[in-house]
Amino acid sequence: MKYLTLVLKSALRSKRRTALTIISVALAVFLFASLRAVLDGFNAGAEASSSTRIVTIRSTSLIFSMPTSHAETIRAVPGVRDLTWANWFGGIYKDQQHSFANFAIEPESYLRVYPEILLTPDERQAFLADRTGCIVGDGLARTNGFRVGDKVTLKVGIPTYGTQDYDFTIRGIYRAGSGAVDNQSMMFHWKYADERSVVKGQLGWIVAQIASPEQEPQIAGTIDEKFANSPYETKTDTEKQFASSFVSMFGNLNLLLGSIAIAVVIATLFVAGNTMAMSVRERTTEIAVMRTLGFPGGTIFGLIAVEALLMSIVGGAVGVVLARVVVNPHVIPSGGFIPEVSVNDLNVAIGLALSAFIGIVAGLIPATLASRLKIVDALRRVA
Amino acid sequence: MGLVSAYNLRSMIVRKATAAMTAGGIAMVVAVFVMTLAIAQGFRATLVASGSPGNAIVLRKGATSETVSAVLRTDVPILESLPQVARGADGRALASPELVVIISLPRVTDNQPANVPVRGVGLKAFDLRDRLTFVEGRRFAPGTREINVGRLATGRFKGLSLGSDVRFGGNTWKVVGVFTADDAAFESEVWGDVDLMQPAFQRSDYQSMTVKLADPSMFDSFKAAVEGDPRLMLVPQREQDYYAEQSRPVTTLISVFGTFVTLILSIGAMAGAMNTMYAAVAYRTREIGTLRALGFGRLRIVSAFLAESIVLAFFGGLAGCILALPVHGLSTGTTNFSSFSEVAFKFRITPPLLVGGVIFAMAMGAVGGLLPAIRAARIPVARALREI
Amino acid sequence: MALIELRDVSKSYHRDQNEIVVLNGVTIAIGAGDFLALMGPSGSGKSTLLNLLAGIDRPTRGSIRVGDTDISGLSERALAAWRARHIGFIFQLYNLIPVLTAFENVELPLLLTPLSKKQRRDHVMTALGIVGLSDREKHYPRQLSGGQEQRVAIARAIVTDPTLLLADEPTGDLDAKSAAEILTLLQQLNRDYKKTIVMVTHDPHAAERASHVLHLEKGSLVDTAVHA
Repeated sequence: MKYLTLVLKSALRSKRRTALTIISVALAVFLFASLRAVLDGFNAGAEASSSTRIVTIRSTSLIFSMPTSHAETIRAVPGVRDLTWANWFGGIYKDQQHSFANFAIEPESYLRVYPEILLTPDERQAFLADRTGCIVGDGLARTNGFRVGDKVTLKVGIPTYGTQDYDFTIRGIYRAGSGAVDNQSMMFHWKYADERSVVKGQLGWIVAQIASPEQEPQIAGTIDEKFANSPYETKTDTEKQFASSFVSMFGNLNLLLGSIAIAVVIATLFVAGNTMAMSVRERTTEIAVMRTLGFPGGTIFGLIAVEALLMSIVGGAVGVVLARVVVNPHVIPSGGFIPEVSVNDLNVAIGLALSAFIGIVAGLIPATLASRLKIVDALRRVA
Repeated sequence: MGLVSAYNLRSMIVRKATAAMTAGGIAMVVAVFVMTLAIAQGFRATLVASGSPGNAIVLRKGATSETVSAVLRTDVPILESLPQVARGADGRALASPELVVIISLPRVTDNQPANVPVRGVGLKAFDLRDRLTFVEGRRFAPGTREINVGRLATGRFKGLSLGSDVRFGGNTWKVVGVFTADDAAFESEVWGDVDLMQPAFQRSDYQSMTVKLADPSMFDSFKAAVEGDPRLMLVPQREQDYYAEQSRPVTTLISVFGTFVTLILSIGAMAGAMNTMYAAVAYRTREIGTLRALGFGRLRIVSAFLAESIVLAFFGGLAGCILALPVHGLSTGTTNFSSFSEVAFKFRITPPLLVGGVIFAMAMGAVGGLLPAIRAARIPVARALREI
Repeated sequence: MALIELRDVSKSYHRDQNEIVVLNGVTIAIGAGDFLALMGPSGSGKSTLLNLLAGIDRPTRGSIRVGDTDISGLSERALAAWRARHIGFIFQLYNLIPVLTAFENVELPLLLTPLSKKQRRDHVMTALGIVGLSDREKHYPRQLSGGQEQRVAIARAIVTDPTLLLADEPTGDLDAKSAAEILTLLQQLNRDYKKTIVMVTHDPHAAERASHVLHLEKGSLVDTAVHA
């Protein structure tokens, strides 16, 4: 502790250099935390998914639909407690730029099976009572300035739904109770879409609530068996699996963002290491003097290392604060299909740890060189 | 200027460790820049390569992509009869009614289900895309359940190699040929006879019609003819425009992301360059004083140090480009959300991209070196000469 | 018995293939309370001798005893500890740490001791008092004149009450007036506080203030002249 003054004053020796180093570490940590936040945002759905919900789709692919009779068959499978379904509508709001996720749901059962969709009792009532009513997520409402009672018109995107525009009234704005549901979507009555569809009685995906997770493989197998060799074969999976397949569609995000993160760290190590080296090089004589006064090599090492660590951690703190402030739903518009991103506490901790790591590695070589300095050589340089 | 540049160059060499680290920081930034933009370029190139200048694609009015479009059976003869459509040697129109559906196949890399586009094509499809050549096997025979697969698709999705049986639409289909098309988006697709695909997927109509124009300049009159016909609810687009538009959302997203990350990173690198140049100026204060005393003006000093910073950054940029080069040609893929289908493509580093990277590096050097260079010129000469 | 004994001390360096002999079999005895001036032309090895005495360099041959300790055999770590306790070093260029105040510079050697903050303060103020700079404790080196800086350096050198004060050309960078002040201070430390001082100098005026003078030329002692 008695060395604190010395360390602080050494770090502030060149305010400009210290400031520049703190800035580069701050930016590196900011980027790192932001990238992690983006990854978390994408994986949120899969992470938060329920282990007692399973999803059934056509085995060919998601774009094909199933007849309503499938729902009845699945409902009868032992272990299935509840059931609901939804269809991707793909309607266009204003134009492609403003598009967002919109799908038709079997309203009463969907709200039951997904208790994470939080609505006030009044809103729920209003929505269920109005065939042309819809509910929108609070994220979506925020982006588009939607309020309860607003009219929304969607142009048909997928030809199956006919040619006429669809008009809706917003009956509720829901909050997402967990990551399993995103707050960027609009949901409306399946019947409304069905009665205007070119081909009626079609379901996009069926969600079943099962009693316990252990039963999943067996129940899923039973369901798929029932439709095997029929014209409408199915594939049933856990909700988690269903959600992750969407993330993987973007590409190998882990690899991409991970590689960028590594590049960021390496670049910063170069900059921070360079700074420490320069700082130490300037002080060769002083270090020699301190060694002459009797400071052991180990203490010198410690002083330099702590100085590097201090600068880095300050940079890290600035970086995580910046990340928290900039990377959050109020500042970064998500929308369409990009999930909301925010920096959680774990990422803050990792960001700070990263800055400490940078400080240690960057300071290592200069500190070692300083502690091993040959006193007479250093003194001779000046006089 | 001659003396001053030799002096700068040698000074840099003397302080090689510092110079190397600064250049290293800049190299990393340029590498990230080049690599992320190579993804955007690769995706764009694949989609753009799919379009021929002499072709037009006809979609339903208001449809933003093939998958949400519909072309009726009755529309086909009307379109084929239009004079702007080229005719083959057999006198028949070079036009192909098409239908794209998605089937789910596991990805080779992570075993996750991927959305593989299956394109039902007309007889003339191969004649319309003249860059398409077969690397293995042969064209599928019309009227049969034979299919062809693009080369990139065989590498990315499981079960599509030559001779494989693929099950979808309630039937089994046999892969009899693998084709390549200069990495166009078609190479991620499975092709088969559209008239067999329709019933297999319970569709009654087509989604699009691709035609070859008798001459590319006839597009406008073709468009007028189609839009003017009251029997048709269709709109044609130049094939290249269509694919360019298809690639825009993803390309824009990746480019914006890459630019954002790189910009932030570059601030850190510039801070590093600034540090280095300030230290260089401080270290060489006496030399600068001497040069000034000898009569070298302030502007010369500023230019000299600025040039030094830019040259250092240039080498950093070069190193960054070299570091990024290995990714060129690496295969990857992403989902084109307007068509909901997965497109396999390759990282694509182009000469303009590399030049851009180096220029970006030099810009970083210029910005980082400016203030220190000005400081160098403003040191009072007498004081500079006294420094040790 | 003499406080300090150098016995047949030699120091040589290797540069490329050549061996450069800086000190050649030097034997010196220094008594407690002596004020010794080491003189000689540049390259004579006088600074090297000082460095050896301080324990910041090692002899190639020979032994050096200071007090009860044979320092030529100590490890690097032990030498550092020994130095902290027994040596006060005064440099030609003062070598104060620019980011620390006068007070903090003088306090530096005390950070190596287990003294409390208050105890350190007492020692520092005493040392600053002796060199006459108590009122400048909060000043930074850049705010002091050359002579004042050297006085702070001297305060730093004496604050641990070392066995031996070593001064390497302490007046080399000062004007005549300041130089005289410094030399007076050193004499005062020697006469009134009984400090043993070894001073390297090429200034005959400085050497006059010492009690003994030794001459070195090309690594060997030339003669011994005693001044009163």
